[in-house]
Amino acid sequence: MLRNLCKRMFKRSVWVYHCNTGACNGCDIEILNILTPYYDVERFGIKLVASPRHADAMLISGAVTRPTLPLVKRAYEAIPSPKLVFAIGSCASGGGAWFDSYNVTGGVDKVLPVNYYIPGCPSRPEAILFGVALALGLVEKEAAPIELKQVEFPIDMYERNEAWKKRNDIYELLK
Amino acid sequence: MRKELEAQFAVQLHDAVVCVEKTDQRTIFIDVKREAIRRAARIVTDAGGRYMCGVGYDNIARDGTLGMVHTFSMDQNDYFICIRTKVSAIDPVMESITPDLPSAGWSEREFMDMLGMQFTNHPKPKRLVLADDWPAGIYPLRKEVPYDLVPPGAEDVAYQLDEAPPGTRVVPIGPFHPSLHEPEHFAVYVDGETIKGCDYRGFMTHRGIEKLCQTQVSYNEVPFIAERICGICGSVHATAFSQAVESAGGIKIPRRAEYIRTLMLEIERIHSHLLWLGVAGHLIGFDTVFMQAWRVREQLMWLCERLTGNRKTYGMVLIGGVRRDITSAIADDIRAVVKKIEEELRVIHRAIEKDSSIHKRTKGVGTITKEEAIAWGLIGPVARARGVDVDARRDHPYAAYNDMKFDVPVLTDCDVWSTLVVRVLETYEAIRIIHQVLDKMPSGEIFVELKDKIPALRHAITTVEAPRGESTHYVITGEDNRPDRWRVRAPTYTNLQAVPLMLLNEQFGDFPIIMGSIDPCFSCTDRVAVIDLQSGKARSMTRRELEFLSREQLHRP
Repeated sequence: MLRNLCKRMFKRSVWVYHCNTGACNGCDIEILNILTPYYDVERFGIKLVASPRHADAMLISGAVTRPTLPLVKRAYEAIPSPKLVFAIGSCASGGGAWFDSYNVTGGVDKVLPVNYYIPGCPSRPEAILFGVALALGLVEKEAAPIELKQVEFPIDMYERNEAWKKRNDIYELLK
Repeated sequence: MRKELEAQFAVQLHDAVVCVEKTDQRTIFIDVKREAIRRAARIVTDAGGRYMCGVGYDNIARDGTLGMVHTFSMDQNDYFICIRTKVSAIDPVMESITPDLPSAGWSEREFMDMLGMQFTNHPKPKRLVLADDWPAGIYPLRKEVPYDLVPPGAEDVAYQLDEAPPGTRVVPIGPFHPSLHEPEHFAVYVDGETIKGCDYRGFMTHRGIEKLCQTQVSYNEVPFIAERICGICGSVHATAFSQAVESAGGIKIPRRAEYIRTLMLEIERIHSHLLWLGVAGHLIGFDTVFMQAWRVREQLMWLCERLTGNRKTYGMVLIGGVRRDITSAIADDIRAVVKKIEEELRVIHRAIEKDSSIHKRTKGVGTITKEEAIAWGLIGPVARARGVDVDARRDHPYAAYNDMKFDVPVLTDCDVWSTLVVRVLETYEAIRIIHQVLDKMPSGEIFVELKDKIPALRHAITTVEAPRGESTHYVITGEDNRPDRWRVRAPTYTNLQAVPLMLLNEQFGDFPIIMGSIDPCFSCTDRVAVIDLQSGKARSMTRRELEFLSREQLHRP
């Protein structure tokens, strides 16, 4: 539903506003990196703009810290509707390693409605490009094939021994 | 030299010196009583000591005191002097050393916030690190305060910025401001177009990393968290932390691991300097440099991915060594890539060397004299562009730098242009070091298993030369397999304090490039922008206007 809406709403160029709410610079550099010749995001009509008032979408990097919390809300309100919010990197998606530290509020979703999460520490430029293109309906969503997914956690040593013993018990019973 | 200094201490301070302790080859700890701290600092400064940072720590559980360490570097003689003192937690008052040493200002303000210390005669005892709505009386670095304590916020608590000098207007810049890329707030006081002063409210990316690592994780995880202090100079922090713990615990790591650390540090330096060159070009409106520098840099990012599995935050450094080896195949790969980067950088270098528009924007801008640079304790390319010959790789060799031959470029133009040239020249030196590392790398283990526990309550300090200057890490080892205190002092922490001086009497349109010339990295500094609507007289300026103004500067006479 959101994707159909996006396709209709953001038919032409999407201007994005980049907002650092307490990131380590890693994701910010990758966001800047998608402007440079190898990735060249402008060919999709996506442009990084300076003011939230000109923007259609917001790229947020970093866990939201206590001082930036009211500020990021105000920046969000300044973007005209309809608007999209992308949380870029692990910190923005879930708060990162410091999600519950004294000066950190958590991930962006604690503060704003997030539409798309782009994982990675830092997110690769390809991932950011793919995420934005996915939102705009330029590409189809891809899921990893089943065999690449880790279906269950590896059983640790003690449990494995236990399981082995239990299995042998069954064999004992069968005898 | 060291004997003379000790004699000086004995003569001038008499019984105020509690003890002198020498832990390793290059660190001397001097315990003094709290009344003597300012005199002790003055003795070290007179002997040529450069102030690095202050470290406050909580020792209440052990003897009811708060400790404070002022660390100094003797660059000529390769050793560090740490003046330790303690004050009782009930009456944590000591004399400020900031009137003598302006670069100590932030360190003292930080521990006013974080530990509740009080410094008499501090020229600007304002809040520095904590949020403005953080209640008074809760000091997050004290042990009794849990790491996840979040006191309720209050609305409409604004930072009290300095009074504007008479006849000036305030131009607020930030927190979300595209020429900064990170949330920080500057109030710039202007008279017409001329900057007459500047106040800074930062530490908005303070994430409480130090507290987190002192309470939650173990030594194994800290290097990886240290890498995430900064996305650009991550390896630097991981290496510095590991070295500090190794130094405290007396761990000797294999030579090959030291070589691989050197390699990663130099790769990081190239990528950071190219990044800076691009951003600087962007800030003065020369986007071709931005695109070209980042295009050249991109190959290095791909190389890092082949080398370590990630484009940044490499995760290579551990306490006791490194995680991945460099095989001969990958060594050839590195050689080929850095050779190509050198060729392409020379093209860019030739293009900007004689470019009159870059000269117009950067020459004679952001000037401070060598004496001022020494007084403020500037470090890194910012200091080397002001004729201060300081480089931790040469002055306090760590990892494999004592085997390397390299020059430290020092220029005396004292402006933004010379910081640009210093950074480009350093990139060539970094490439030279990488070739040497690959040629000389010894074979052997890359990791040493730690058999014993790391002993508790040992103090250690190390410095690592980050692309922006020297990063200082101070570690006090703790009992629960984690550091008791870990203090990170990133290079921007020192350099940023001198920015108001660089901005003084400059044109407002030059603000972005002067700010950019120190290669600010606020996330390192803070381990921690919107417009200040509180003050009615302020006029907010969008980035577009500022960028426009910045580009207009091009056409000035």
